[in-house]
Amino acid sequence: MNISYEDICVKLGGKDILSGVTLKSLEGKIVGIVGANGCGKSTLIKTTFGIVNNHRGTVMVNGKPTKEYTPRELASMIGYVGQDQSVAFDFSVRDVVTMGLYARQDKRRGKILVDTAMVDLGVYQFADRSIQRLSGGERKMVFIARAVVQGADMFILDEPTNHLDIKHQLFVMDYLKNSGKTTVIVIHDLRLAAHYCDYLYMISDGKVYAEGAPMDVLTVENVRHVFGINGHSEITEKGILDFALFEQ
Amino acid sequence: MKHRTWHIFLYVILAVLLVFTLIYTVGVGATEISFKDVYSILTDRVFNGGARIAAGEFDDVTFKIVWLIRLPRTLFALLVGVGLSICGAAMQALVLNPIADPYVLGVSSGASAGAAIALLAPIGFIEWQYQTTTFAFAGALFSAFVVYILAKRAGGGKLQPVTLLLAGTAVNAVMSAITSYLVFRAKSPESIAAVYNWQMGAISAAQWKTLSIPAVLVCVGLVIFTIMGSRFNMIMMGDEDAAAMGMRVKLFRSTMFIVCSVVVASLVSITGIIGFVGLVVPHVVRLLSRTSDNRVVMPMSALFGASYIMWADAFARSSHGASELPLGIVTAFIGAPFFMFLMIKNRYGGRGK
Repeated sequence: MNISYEDICVKLGGKDILSGVTLKSLEGKIVGIVGANGCGKSTLIKTTFGIVNNHRGTVMVNGKPTKEYTPRELASMIGYVGQDQSVAFDFSVRDVVTMGLYARQDKRRGKILVDTAMVDLGVYQFADRSIQRLSGGERKMVFIARAVVQGADMFILDEPTNHLDIKHQLFVMDYLKNSGKTTVIVIHDLRLAAHYCDYLYMISDGKVYAEGAPMDVLTVENVRHVFGINGHSEITEKGILDFALFEQ
Repeated sequence: MKHRTWHIFLYVILAVLLVFTLIYTVGVGATEISFKDVYSILTDRVFNGGARIAAGEFDDVTFKIVWLIRLPRTLFALLVGVGLSICGAAMQALVLNPIADPYVLGVSSGASAGAAIALLAPIGFIEWQYQTTTFAFAGALFSAFVVYILAKRAGGGKLQPVTLLLAGTAVNAVMSAITSYLVFRAKSPESIAAVYNWQMGAISAAQWKTLSIPAVLVCVGLVIFTIMGSRFNMIMMGDEDAAAMGMRVKLFRSTMFIVCSVVVASLVSITGIIGFVGLVVPHVVRLLSRTSDNRVVMPMSALFGASYIMWADAFARSSHGASELPLGIVTAFIGAPFFMFLMIKNRYGGRGK
């Protein structure tokens, strides 16, 4: 299972958002996309399902352009969770997670799949509660559970730790790490990025500014260039890769 | 499974209510006919081939009122209730906004203007049977399209509740102006009366022969919307989510808009503008059934909407003696305050919370 974005160019409202970004997933690993607000991170992954149209370049899944798959086939391979968590109508958590079954060819044992996903993501106790009454963090878990139900071997997530308290941030990142699925995430928290991602792409002005292992990407120079702050990744006394700020 | 039991209970109640309403409201009007007589006449005619009627067991005038005047009208009220309610539910899902309905989105007034053009415009069209319906359909589709594009443009690419309302209001105004202008120019008093009727909304024009097209289209619409229930659920989660779940969002939305326009046009070309039905009914159903699941909301709105309009029409034709109150006024009296209530409840924020 792999996805690659090849030379993606996107124009929105006459403005170049992405100009030739190439990015690849790693089998069973977490690839992180970091960059300042508005650099085009979310736009890039939105091209996966054609939510945003790229005027140049191709998104390839398992060596085939996404256009050659039906949307449903694509959804059965990729579990995508966007940033927007607002819901205009009243659905129960179970209703929402069950929607993931649409992408599956084989709908047998659907209820078990749904229940299992809800238990795994820790939302089973809310199963009959309205999604509108959940916090942003809890909703995030529900949407990830739905992506799991789709049966995808790959996750593409836009800021999965957004809205989450520190405990749930770690819970989600551990879940992704342990799932062993090929994962691409847009992530703002550089500490989590350093700690959990196997490979990082740093995007700046619609282009890949740096890529590689977190240690090599989150350098003093890169961080200063992209974010305008002083900081870098370092290995702590306990041997954990972390991101630390300097005095500004 | 508490939910499911509750839903079955509701279905049964609503079905019983529907049958009762049908028989009872046929008896309501300038000439009151007892429930028992209506029941006997209908069962005899439908299940018995009219043997007792032929034998002269019922008053001939009573039979004619029931069978030739009241029943087609009541059935048409039923169709209007079903059609507008399910289209309301569908449109709310399609534009991700609980305040949408065929009237608010300008579809009804577009259909009305289309029908007015077909009947009154000084253009030499080839006269054919479905001319009015076709024009109403074109008008409905055109309005829906313009409102959608206008609202999206004004909202910066997103469908905001406020811009949607404004776009609907603007298109409503234009379409009503077209209709009024055509009425103003019209020479024959009959056509003026007919167009006046549309703008108030009335189903007194219903006859057996006008029933067939709307009946077929409303049934087809109901079946499609119910089968598509789970997809309507998905699109209610927003375009991004629906796409990520594997839906062809644009195709689905445009196809369903066309289905809505066809259904609405088939009704409005005969009845004229009957507002707020599609707004009130799905909301009440969502509150009653305690779910937004369209697999439940669609059929239940059909059942509830049918009874609602049959009662509203019975009231319209009986409350003011010999002169009839236009149905559109009745539904507006009920629907408009409900609309205000929804706005205050702040549910109209659409993609809020």
